[in-house]
Amino acid sequence: MKKKAVSKAKWIQSIATSACVLVASVVGFQSTAMADETCMSPYMAKIVGQEDYVYVWTLGVEGMGDGQDKLVTMSVNPNADSYGKVVNVLSVGGRNEAHHSGLTDDRKYLFAGGLDSNKIFVFDVATNPAKPTLHKVITDFVEKTGGMVGPHTFYALPGRVMVTALSNNVDHGGRTGMAEYTNEGEFIAAHWNPTDEDLRGAEKVGNVADGYGYDIRALPRRNVMVTSSFTGWSNYMMDFGQMLGDPEAMKRFGNTAIVWDLHTRKPKKVFEVPGAPLEIRCAWGSQNNYCFTTTALTSKIWLIYEDEEGEWQAKDVAEIGDPSKVPLPVDISITADDQGLWVQTFLDGKTRFFDISDPFNPVQKYEHVIGEQVNMISQSWDGKRAYFTSSLLGNWDKTGEADEQYFKLFTWNGKKLSHEFTVDFYELKLGRAHQMRFGAYSLYSQKPNSDGTMLSQTK
Amino acid sequence: MISVKKNIFRFINFCLLSLVVIIFVYANNFQSSAIAANEKHFYGPGDNKQGYESIDYVTNTLDLQKRVGKQADLLEFYRNPPLGLPPAPVPAYNPLTEEKVSLGRILFFDRRLSINDTFSCAICHIPEQGFTNNEIQTAIGVEGRSGKRNAPTVYNSGYLKMMFHDGREDSLEQQVWAPFLARNEMANPSIGYVINKIKAIPDYDGLFEKAFDGRGPTMETVGMALASYQRTLNAADSPFDRWHFGKQQDAVSESVKRGFEVFTGKGQCSVCHLIHEDYALFADNQLHNTGLGYETSMGSNSTTTRVQLAPGVFADLDNKIIRSVSKAKLNDVGRYEVTENPNDRWKFLTPMLRNVALTAPYMHDGSMQSLREVMEFYNQGGVENELLSPLIKPLDLSDQEIDDVIEFLKSLTGSNIGTLVADAFAAPIGNISKDDPNWAHDNQIK
Ligand code: HEC
Ligand code: HEC
Repeated sequence: MKKKAVSKAKWIQSIATSACVLVASVVGFQSTAMADETCMSPYMAKIVGQEDYVYVWTLGVEGMGDGQDKLVTMSVNPNADSYGKVVNVLSVGGRNEAHHSGLTDDRKYLFAGGLDSNKIFVFDVATNPAKPTLHKVITDFVEKTGGMVGPHTFYALPGRVMVTALSNNVDHGGRTGMAEYTNEGEFIAAHWNPTDEDLRGAEKVGNVADGYGYDIRALPRRNVMVTSSFTGWSNYMMDFGQMLGDPEAMKRFGNTAIVWDLHTRKPKKVFEVPGAPLEIRCAWGSQNNYCFTTTALTSKIWLIYEDEEGEWQAKDVAEIGDPSKVPLPVDISITADDQGLWVQTFLDGKTRFFDISDPFNPVQKYEHVIGEQVNMISQSWDGKRAYFTSSLLGNWDKTGEADEQYFKLFTWNGKKLSHEFTVDFYELKLGRAHQMRFGAYSLYSQKPNSDGTMLSQTK
Repeated sequence: MISVKKNIFRFINFCLLSLVVIIFVYANNFQSSAIAANEKHFYGPGDNKQGYESIDYVTNTLDLQKRVGKQADLLEFYRNPPLGLPPAPVPAYNPLTEEKVSLGRILFFDRRLSINDTFSCAICHIPEQGFTNNEIQTAIGVEGRSGKRNAPTVYNSGYLKMMFHDGREDSLEQQVWAPFLARNEMANPSIGYVINKIKAIPDYDGLFEKAFDGRGPTMETVGMALASYQRTLNAADSPFDRWHFGKQQDAVSESVKRGFEVFTGKGQCSVCHLIHEDYALFADNQLHNTGLGYETSMGSNSTTTRVQLAPGVFADLDNKIIRSVSKAKLNDVGRYEVTENPNDRWKFLTPMLRNVALTAPYMHDGSMQSLREVMEFYNQGGVENELLSPLIKPLDLSDQEIDDVIEFLKSLTGSNIGTLVADAFAAPIGNISKDDPNWAHDNQIK
């Protein structure tokens, strides 16, 4: 506790002396545009209060329903007649290995990627939040980036979308990079990750510079971007059990996190973070210059932080469950007040709540079994509602009875989760439920007609 | 006077000539040094995981942006196969031409020749990984569907009389249709689909017609072009060849020479991996039961699996957990699957051992990560079963003898590998672009 007080004081000091301009700008920013569901880009417009819809990027399952990927719109406003129901299904063709999705800074478009087909589906979610439409399909991601495969995270920067990739088109391994698109889906630039042969000006802090990629987050006030590292196509598409039994394949996981210069997009430091660091969540507080990530294979929480000297560092700060049992931490979510971190462990189907008030010493305070398997979480800005989905990857999900596919809402009172509703995605023949993004009429100064169409729409 | 003039003339001539020579040597040097800089890209995965078992693992990752190559005169490796190879066979109906080879080379690296534009031949037969895949035991195809077998190299495949681990195919021209159509490889829905797609891709405009006397893409011409490219991937003139066939005494170490003695003597290897008078393919066009397939099909299941989580970090995972995230494992009964003759159970084709140092992991299921594991397997006499080949028996080789055989196997890497891989790097990769057929370009989803 004491250590924390000291380090906090030093942070305040360093910020006050070196970055008061930035802090001032952030404060101004906060009062106008910052805040959102807690894991999104700070550049993004925010939903005030209750969200109306959750868009679930869903993997088609061969032999089920129409067998293809789809964007499923869930109605989640308790005041709506359709509360807890699917209100729209938009099939997009193919099993693309639907995975992550992300909104543009103005929340007009939702970019949703296919880790296998490399297609990026750009949905218009603004014109009618209840009924997204397909605005555009980007089909030439591999060609335009010069060989990146597996568009993963879509992260909003002002007028831009950063797209991290997972693999490449020559060996389907983990060496990759990220690409930059306009909000309209026009390609701008490719940035390859640093490797030993070409560190691109970065410092190799530990033993590894593998060039792997996964997630991305930014801390604009510190001019920093952070990326993490997972694995290449051959592994993320492979039958999970087969891969665990393949010693060659198990060597091909990322062991790095990279700190980048946000403005120049140049890598600064390559940290050794062993065991596949996946999701990155940066703190919101104006003095909290740190981000969390968790390692899927080694089951640890890592802190990537700026120290008293203004140097970026990476440190493992806690274990998740019993790492020797490989619980497989997957999605994480930070609370808006930087006090708590939700961590889902896929194999035991649990969500775990860590107290991160001391970021150097996260302590698990609560755990709850969500289902046979669990991956994603999305919480409302006030932290009172947490939505969960089940799918990790098409060929990694559990098999047989344990392959539950759901969308669940729980409420959180700070002490425990209470189940509100479950939508069974297999019963509805939809497929595997993956990433969630929120939509709300309030964002677009709109209100729905009683039938769900927009007031602005002529019938 | 005359002689002085003549001498001046000669002198000028000499100067000009040496200038030409200097320029030539310089240009050549320049070219080969460009290749030399890339040398490290040619002989293994750019994502180097050597030493990954140890906590002290240090990466030596190569950069994809520096993975560049240089086109080679491939036909030369067919016309004059490198030392140690016999004359290269070619069917009378498909004589090798420059046009066919260059077309086949484009097809081989074209990811669009799969249902969802993600799989070329080269995704499983990766040039710098010995034209195989060093990073997984068994092949993974479209949508991540599992195959049960390890991708073999296509080096020297022009010499194969039987193809695939069960020997079920006998011509390279026909062979291509297996991966094109297999659901767990390139997953094209039909032959016509592939042909029509090629016709609709502008990159192929006129290429087939030029290579095949006016004939466009057909089931035959596609196979003929791919076969032609593969027939040029002849890799030999290895240190072993220079020593054994070239009689160059210092081409290999003493250990390699001792290894050769064991390989052809006490080890009995050359009974199946044949070495002929003036050439060697290290194969016998036969299928044998070494017991490995039997063990995988019939062996008992253990309760835990040792899984590597990070450099130097391992866990013993309960197999119940692994089963909860596994689809049913594919069984492999080998040659029996072709003949349905019970005597053929767990028989597999003897692979050629040329360039074997580049083609790990080994055996039909990629279950052996190193040549040492292979040697230990042979030394113990394979795995006992009622159909075990009588040629496989415990060998009682000493550690020294095993080391020597491994050194010998490592001496089989061809001297022209760099040229072939550099040529492959220079080949265009067929990524889908806006000009290619795909309904999604115009975004018309209602
Ligand atoms: C999904 C991975 C994959 C793709 C794509 C693929 N191959 Fe293969 N290849 C394999 C595997 C696995 C085998 C062995 C199969 C067996 O034994 O049943 C093989 C075998 C072969 C062989 C026989 C080699 C021998 O020693 O028997 C040749 C030749 C070959 N492939 C060429 C090609 C060509 C040409 C293409 C593209 C048209 C291609 N492959 C596409 C995985 C692949
Ligand atoms: C009875 C014939 C036979 C004998 C004797 C034999 N091999 Fe083999 N060898 C095979 C067959 C068949 C395979 C393929 C087995 C499989 O795929 O499961 C093979 C595979 C191999 C491989 C793996 C190649 C690859 O690309 O996967 C190596 C290396 C090898 N043998 C070396 C040796 C050595 C060294 C010896 C002597 C100690 C030896 N073999 C003796 C038949 C034989």
